[in-house]
Amino acid sequence: MIEIGRLCVKTAGRDAGLKCVIVDILDNKFVLIDGETRRRKCNILHLEPLKDVIKVKKNASHEDIRKEFEKLGLKAMDTKPKQKTERPVKQNKRELKEEPKKKKADAKKPAKREKETESGIEEKIGALEEKKKPKKSAKNAKQEKK
Amino acid sequence: MPQPYKRSRSLRRVYVKVPGGKTKLHYRKRKPGKAKCGSCGAILKGTLRERPNKMSNLPKTKKRPERPYGGNLCSKCMRILIVKRARSL
Repeated sequence: MIEIGRLCVKTAGRDAGLKCVIVDILDNKFVLIDGETRRRKCNILHLEPLKDVIKVKKNASHEDIRKEFEKLGLKAMDTKPKQKTERPVKQNKRELKEEPKKKKADAKKPAKREKETESGIEEKIGALEEKKKPKKSAKNAKQEKK
Repeated sequence: MPQPYKRSRSLRRVYVKVPGGKTKLHYRKRKPGKAKCGSCGAILKGTLRERPNKMSNLPKTKKRPERPYGGNLCSKCMRILIVKRARSL
């Protein structure tokens, strides 16, 4: 039952329920599979063989198997190669901590006062003088009347 | 006399070390029950047992095994189901 080109269903793990083809027989326990699943080594006990057998060479490439799967109306797994990305540069923790402090200091700064005009100053002085003047008490008012 | 909700065992008791250095008794809500297989009722492995506020902040991969029916069926029942389907093809 286990032979190169045999269609199987994987019954264990993350690829369970997906169809695959045996590409190579590694030993009496393990085989190499490819197809809807990832191309990987697999235990025979984790495969459920189907009736169909595909004509596939030993150790056939992923592209050959994809073509064969397309004939059957199945879609082989496409693994995109990872694009190279630049490694993020590590920043010192001290520098990171200092930055927000600066922002806080800026926020606390009071807004600049508008330049006081001469007329404004005179008004303020007038108001202060009025406050300083003692109010006439009730006794003083009576004495004045007499 | 302590408050009635503190007298019952509906809340679990946790000893917490407070910032002052003392250990105090805190009352917290109990965790939900363990997840069970939908077909055989066995306790599922690889599933978390936490309250929703903690679960919502965790990634999916930490909450259930990453296979078909992970978190709903145990591995044995899932395999039986898949083999049955494959044989019917």
